[in-house]
Amino acid sequence: MRKIQLRVNGETIAREVPDQRLLVDFLRYDLGLTGTKEGCSVGVCGACTVLLDGQPVSSCLALVAMAEGCEVTTIEGLAQGDRLHPLQQAFIEYGGFQCGICTPGQIMASKALLDANPHPTRDQIREWMMGNLCRCTGYYKIIESIQAAAEGKTGS
Amino acid sequence: MNPFTYTEPATIDEAIATLSRYGEEAKLIAGGTGLINLMKQRLVNPGYLVGLRRLSELTKISFDRGLRIGALCTHRTLETSALVREHAPLLAEAARQVATIRIRTMATIGGAVAHADPNQDLPPALIALDARVKLRSPRGEREVPIDSFFTGYYETLIQPDEIVTELAIASAPPASGHAFLKFLPQTADDYATVGVAAMVTIDRGRIADVRVALGAAASTPLRATVVESALRGQEPTARRLAEAAALVADIVDPIADFRGSAEYKRDMAVVFVRRALAQAVTRAQAGGRGV
Amino acid sequence: MGILRSIGQAAGHVEGPAKVTGRARYSADVTLPGMLWGKTLRSPFPHARIVSIDVAAARALPGVHAVVTAADLPEVRIGRFLRDIPVLALEHVRFIGEKVAAVAAETPEAAEDAVRLIEVEYEELPAVFDPLEAMGAEAPRLHEHAERYEHPPVPPIGGDSKFHPFTNVCSQNLFRRGDLKLGFADAARTFEHSFFVPPVHQGYIEPHACAAAIASDGKIDIWISNKAPFIARRQLALAFGVEEDRVRVNSTSIGGDFGGKGSLMDCALCYFLARASGRPVKMVMNYTEELTAGNPRHSASITFRTGVTSDGRITAHQAKLIFNCGAYGAFIPLHFVHGGMHAASGPYRIPHMEIEALRVYTNTVPRGHYRAPGAPQTAFAIESHMDMIARELSIDPLEFRLRNVLIDGDESPMGERWQHIRCRETLMAAAEAAAWNSPKPPNVGHGIGMYERATGAFGTSGATLTVDADSTLTLVTGAADTGTGSFTVLGQMVAEELQAPLGEVVVLQGDTDTAEWEDGAGGSRLTHMAGQATLVAAREVKSALIALAARRLDCAPEQVAMRERRFIASDGRELDWESFLSWAAEHAALPLTRAGSYVAGHPVEVTCYSAQVAEVEVDRETGQVRLRKIVTAHDVGTIINPLTHQGQIEGGLIQGIGQAMTEHLQVRDGAVTTAHLGDYKLPTAMDIPELSTVLVESPTGPGPFAGKAIGEMSNVTPPAAIANAVCDAVGVRLMDLPVTAEKVYAGLRAMEKRR
Repeated sequence: MRKIQLRVNGETIAREVPDQRLLVDFLRYDLGLTGTKEGCSVGVCGACTVLLDGQPVSSCLALVAMAEGCEVTTIEGLAQGDRLHPLQQAFIEYGGFQCGICTPGQIMASKALLDANPHPTRDQIREWMMGNLCRCTGYYKIIESIQAAAEGKTGS
Repeated sequence: MNPFTYTEPATIDEAIATLSRYGEEAKLIAGGTGLINLMKQRLVNPGYLVGLRRLSELTKISFDRGLRIGALCTHRTLETSALVREHAPLLAEAARQVATIRIRTMATIGGAVAHADPNQDLPPALIALDARVKLRSPRGEREVPIDSFFTGYYETLIQPDEIVTELAIASAPPASGHAFLKFLPQTADDYATVGVAAMVTIDRGRIADVRVALGAAASTPLRATVVESALRGQEPTARRLAEAAALVADIVDPIADFRGSAEYKRDMAVVFVRRALAQAVTRAQAGGRGV
Repeated sequence: MGILRSIGQAAGHVEGPAKVTGRARYSADVTLPGMLWGKTLRSPFPHARIVSIDVAAARALPGVHAVVTAADLPEVRIGRFLRDIPVLALEHVRFIGEKVAAVAAETPEAAEDAVRLIEVEYEELPAVFDPLEAMGAEAPRLHEHAERYEHPPVPPIGGDSKFHPFTNVCSQNLFRRGDLKLGFADAARTFEHSFFVPPVHQGYIEPHACAAAIASDGKIDIWISNKAPFIARRQLALAFGVEEDRVRVNSTSIGGDFGGKGSLMDCALCYFLARASGRPVKMVMNYTEELTAGNPRHSASITFRTGVTSDGRITAHQAKLIFNCGAYGAFIPLHFVHGGMHAASGPYRIPHMEIEALRVYTNTVPRGHYRAPGAPQTAFAIESHMDMIARELSIDPLEFRLRNVLIDGDESPMGERWQHIRCRETLMAAAEAAAWNSPKPPNVGHGIGMYERATGAFGTSGATLTVDADSTLTLVTGAADTGTGSFTVLGQMVAEELQAPLGEVVVLQGDTDTAEWEDGAGGSRLTHMAGQATLVAAREVKSALIALAARRLDCAPEQVAMRERRFIASDGRELDWESFLSWAAEHAALPLTRAGSYVAGHPVEVTCYSAQVAEVEVDRETGQVRLRKIVTAHDVGTIINPLTHQGQIEGGLIQGIGQAMTEHLQVRDGAVTTAHLGDYKLPTAMDIPELSTVLVESPTGPGPFAGKAIGEMSNVTPPAAIANAVCDAVGVRLMDLPVTAEKVYAGLRAMEKRR
């Protein structure tokens, strides 16, 4: 067991965990933040995407111990109270999700994209988002949603 | 995963001391994207994981008559670093094509060379760049040319108490051109069916120097010296490039997997070596080093 | 109908805020006080007798609360229709991955460690993996007493049906029309081709998960990733040996279904672990378990023999479809692979026809349903077959199809008399959008795929609608949310019927105690069936509101009309909505609730068509096929929600492309070797082609507001369209899927050798 301290969605968290605790399990079960999902468990599908110091990572491949002292952002940390983040709003308006299981990962990955590149081209969006698999939408509306958020075309 | 103890040494020497203390029981972990997967499948079961996160001196990139890249630089850093893009664009281009953005933000260049998965993209690029690997152990520091670094299937010459600290890449001469081709006939996030990295230097209309390396073509990353020998001093005509590329068929020993049979990978090695050479030559002739 | 306000609106999913914030709850997200984790021990052998199981060491491990084997369970078999699979293997294991024992423990790690300590002695038996071999006289027999397996009465569809007619054949279906001998006698030429389609997995990103909790009063609470909660409840009650009202299936969102989440999977076992341990238990499959022991799509060997006149008109058509069922038949909700048989005649006019479909047991993972079950396999075969015939006759493939597809007034080969057949129009629309007749650059080709499928109209649906004093309309449905947008579409129907803004409509999934019976998602039935039930409830509510307004207006209900949400008496007096609400609330008339139910009656009379044209470019040096563009044309009715409608088309298309080009669930000696998503490749955002959707609209649908179904169309013909396009581009004809660079390369080199 080890004592760890990190910040999750702006809040300082201190817990005692076994060394082998994965970040995805820590978030979902130690903290009850089940918005982050587990899909493939091998780092391919991206459903478990969270931001670690602003960078998108596979939380199913990270030990929570490796996030010691870091800032973790999950899907629960995006909205401000009832006010949705423009990406969340765009995904609703432009049909960027259907079953929603990949959606937290898609939104976190696209937030990292817009933080790094506020005005990506369609090709840049596809290249960045290539690591987030979706089985329902066929991706077209995910790309449109991200473009709309980047262009400020959300909120009716 | 089997239970283990995770430690994060504050210095390189502390890391090496931990490795010495626990021997085969200990494994280094940088980004962890490769190792955690193996541990989840219980294929690798270290009693001690030595985390390298705190060794910030290994995340630096500098240029001083050659590029020096700290072993803990992530693929994402390589992809975006102005120094790497200027002085070793082949490496930036290879790094950019590895897996997905999440893997690239975590996986490091030191981890990539230590892991020695023959399907990876960085090792062939490093071979084509004639990189040197710096290592430190209780016995001191040593520098090894990347050519001799990979010794077998997922095997390197790293000693159990040794750590990769840096990759050094000399500047390419002017009128050099590079190419990195990753053949992905299935999905864009896959490992290559075959990967080729090439560096060509042109001098007075002839190939002054050439280095060609392949990934996913054998049980280790493979340098195609037979192709290089056929081209040195030659004019880079289409016919010469094709003839030289054809020689690679005799040296590859591809492993059949879901990305292709051994025969198909062999045939594709020939095609992509030729295409990579052509691209590198074009870039060299266009003034060199352009991305 | 007049001017529609909500119907036709591109409204975002009503469950949007929950899904984009991570608040939507999926079965793996459920946590209960005292909850344990369940893990299973699976068979490493494809066929074996279980000699002994020793669980002592597992039971003794700290943190373990229960270890069960078949000996600890009632002897019961479960299944969606045919009940042939036991909850845990009974005396025999019949596929690699079959569940043999299970553990409930404090942590997933403890459960996994305990599973590792269970010792099973097996006596290996000969195994068979290929359906043709399995039908041979020498084949090992998988099910000694198949005749004992229970199932509901077999519905009269699919021609002559038999369960277990021969050894290792789960079911046989035979459909005949006319006289094949006559038909072939009329033919100038006869063509026979055989095709093979390997298994693929539905690839939903959420692996199966479930939880079970037993209260002190015996009430059993279930959470399960299953798209038909009421059907699941029925199956569970049967498995547990209790009355249905003892079981409550709670509502959860489902992370992708596509037909693969209609079985109980681990849920019955989860309950028995809860019973054995006295604690709630949760079980979450990992993705390797999904790929190797889920319920992937049937692989199929398909042979067609077709006779045509010299100008290319079909006179006779014979089909043999051999579907690999895997070790158990339990994972499909019918006696046969319905879509496979239906698609065997394509959208064509065929006077004489015989289709034989077999579902054959093998010692491999049991197969289930996947979006238009059986159709993608058969459509690949028949559309390739027709293309090959056309080319042999030197007839353009588009022209060949135009000569043979059904037109208004035709009877379909299966005996259906469709109204408003729009097959030619849909095909022509696709061809035009694809610039079919324009010249193409070298190595570029076009290929067509066509499919026909009627709106699902079967089973029973129910809905409950409540009007609250604050104007909120709450619709409760028993359907599970699988992401298709069905909740939103139902909400739009309520808004339309009650002249309300969509923002005032709330759609909730009720649990099986609170919601009306609902057969759930499947066979593209929800918009139609749940929609009809919703309209019944909405109309009941409307009548009740009018009756109330009539009281307020002091006249008879027949004298009151509701227009633009105002109540207007025949003498001209009006009552606006807000005033009505406050009056009704004061008089305790609100909230007001009405229920609606709808049972499928006669079959629908209108079907729908899709036609796709794929444009590919082939790299002759490598065989790599680049998908430049796909045109997908759809014969549609009224589109209730253009956003969700288009979403279904796009998502289906990319699944079809996966099956066409990148997905192959590989099975070797009975073991699935593509055991994780690093090896089983789902398409990514970089793998999608330019897409052109063409909608051929007509208000002729059988569903509410004249809508038609769209969910199981666009995924069916990409494999055929792409294979046909590759042949058009470089002359290589692939007879099996997926279309890979290596296969095209081999085809090109073989062609060169022949010259």
